[in-house]
Amino acid sequence: MDGWFGFQVIWDNMAHFLVGRYPSGPIGGLALTIWLAVVSCALSIVIGIFTGLLCVSQNRFIKYPVLTVVNAIRGIPLLMVIFWMYFLLPAFMGMVVAESWTVIAALTIFTSAYMSQIVQAGIEAISRGQTEAGLSTGLPRNQVMVFIVLPQAVRNMIPSFVNQLVSLIKDTSLAFIVGVAELTHVATQVNNRTMVYPAQIFLFIAIIYFILCFMLTSYSRHLEQKLAYRKGI
Amino acid sequence: MFKYQFDWSVVLTGQYAQWIVDGIKVTIQLSMASIALSFLMGLIIAVMRMSQVAPIRGVAHGYLEFIRNTPLLVQFFFWYFGSYQILPQAVNDWLNARDFEFAAAVIALTIYTSAFIAEDIRSGIRSIPKEQMEAARSSGFSYIRSMLYIILPQAVRLTIPPLISQFLNLTKNSSLAMTIGVAELTYQARQVESYTFRGFEAFTAATLVYLVMSLVITGLVMLYDKKVLSPTGMK
Amino acid sequence: MKKILAVLLTVAFVAGLAGIALAEDTYDIVKKRGTLIVGTKDASPGFGYIDPKTREIIGYDCDFAAYLAKKMGVKLELKGVTSAARIPQLQAGNVDLIAATLTWTAERAKQVDFSYTYFLTGQKFLVKKGTVNSLADLEGKKLGTAKGTTSEQNASKALPKATILSFDDYPQAFLALQQGKVVAVTTDESILAGILGKAPNKDQYEIADIRISDEPYGIAMRKDSPKMLKFVNDTLLEMEKNGEAKKIWDKWFNPKSDQPMPRGKFKITADRK
Repeated sequence: MDGWFGFQVIWDNMAHFLVGRYPSGPIGGLALTIWLAVVSCALSIVIGIFTGLLCVSQNRFIKYPVLTVVNAIRGIPLLMVIFWMYFLLPAFMGMVVAESWTVIAALTIFTSAYMSQIVQAGIEAISRGQTEAGLSTGLPRNQVMVFIVLPQAVRNMIPSFVNQLVSLIKDTSLAFIVGVAELTHVATQVNNRTMVYPAQIFLFIAIIYFILCFMLTSYSRHLEQKLAYRKGI
Repeated sequence: MFKYQFDWSVVLTGQYAQWIVDGIKVTIQLSMASIALSFLMGLIIAVMRMSQVAPIRGVAHGYLEFIRNTPLLVQFFFWYFGSYQILPQAVNDWLNARDFEFAAAVIALTIYTSAFIAEDIRSGIRSIPKEQMEAARSSGFSYIRSMLYIILPQAVRLTIPPLISQFLNLTKNSSLAMTIGVAELTYQARQVESYTFRGFEAFTAATLVYLVMSLVITGLVMLYDKKVLSPTGMK
Repeated sequence: MKKILAVLLTVAFVAGLAGIALAEDTYDIVKKRGTLIVGTKDASPGFGYIDPKTREIIGYDCDFAAYLAKKMGVKLELKGVTSAARIPQLQAGNVDLIAATLTWTAERAKQVDFSYTYFLTGQKFLVKKGTVNSLADLEGKKLGTAKGTTSEQNASKALPKATILSFDDYPQAFLALQQGKVVAVTTDESILAGILGKAPNKDQYEIADIRISDEPYGIAMRKDSPKMLKFVNDTLLEMEKNGEAKKIWDKWFNPKSDQPMPRGKFKITADRK
């Protein structure tokens, strides 16, 4: 039982770590972690681009309220956002919301605030000349933003989006608090049952998270270099 | 059917208000201690990361990558529950007789945040022209001393904006300490919720406190930046 | 700042009003859906815990839930809930019933409806063997328990000078006891027995014979469901009559089980205790 310093416990529970209670129950573990992160990332890219555009709006009645909300969200802990969603969302929607969607909603709101800052910075980094050239062809300002500036800005933002996905993968671990059976929750379940191998279990899931995130981080660096090279020409 | 009747007195007066205040105190203590330590540790790691000795550089690099790519919550559990198996029994006994929950939270927050701070400082150092180091070395300073007296003060000043956001993140991240039983603000808000079923009131109070703290930190560091680290103040 | 406050307040207010939407009797909702969703513990040996082989949730609470679902003629879905999440989960409509070691209290009864008591136990202390003989031995020490439980509240009443560390669930509190981070884990004897029964080094621990409260467990449901309440109560009485309730008790807590607990004089009756 105590083979390889207790790491047998990892092997014995491997299925539990990877897919949770599936197929006898809902899917969980690493599979759920990835699902939560990918869905929230996609949603927050969309919302982030939208709010990012609002943040650079020339209409101050749009710009400042949006900036205030974005900065307010950046000022509170993700855990708080999760609690808010946990109590608010079901009441607000007047219907049943699965906890995994509670978490996705919280992660999306939280990450969108950061995404919108990335988008804002990305748009501002595109030279004024581009905007002016667009405007001089007679296109309205909104269309210049959406069809000329944004596509160029988004290409430069891709590495930052990948970095946000890394943050999201790490942040999904907080879903543990509201009982969503993702990787960290599953780890505490296994830990609660076996009781004497906390170091092995938490080190193991740390390594899983690390492999996943490190691959993505490296990929984002690779993208950054490629973009820098292209810009250099 | 539940119609929500607001009762703000729950979080504004009496025992439960006291819990929230206690929570604020712990959150501030936790954040202050971790900010100070993670800044120090971030500096050390950044310098190690730029060392001319390959093994030192490698260790620092590995540390940075591993810590930055692992969830903070897992690190909390590792330090609080996992450390027991690694440390000698005497050390464990010593720790357990004290407030180990708080200490473990400081350790986790410090180690996690220092990895981010180190990278920010490193890019600060790299933006200082190489000639500065060469000039310092040629005027007789050792490598460490050139770093300490010439390069770092300038780098830190350049790093202030990203550092602010790291300190803010740290303050927000301190909420995770609730999972290992540290009675900080989020923990207390949740306690009030489970004793009184007044979730909206308790979480609104806590959210507002976090917002105020974020504003104060940003303000304080900006003031510090202006008064202490401004070019004239550096002499 | 004011703007944010105003937004938050408005949102909270609207959210409060929106709660009305859940007005249908849970019984009818379940019948229509064809699935009964019951919140049970997933880390409480004996009551609701995950079988390492099948990865399904099993235990005393689950067997009651299964009987209720069968009687209704619907499928059963078990959902793991933590102590602090139980009542919010129910109120949010994520589960139809809670059978998760939930003690009846006057405060909770204002929030949710309770069935008749289907399990009775009392709060005690799990300690390292021979370290604790009386309540006085625990005063001023660190105690572990779980967030959002009656155990936490009882303990701080009985031992006002003790430091109570609340974890997300009891096994984590027990881990803290094993590592010497707390001197006792305090909660219902039934839960303590379950944890002790599954512990790898159980001979080093004991449940000290200090009882600080009665803990009657009930099945909880939303307040707007008189039909569901009557169904659950009738079914519980039926289970007592046809011997099913005793059978389930003996299945999990017989003298040879990991957590032996005699049923004694306990019977499910049309009464709270």
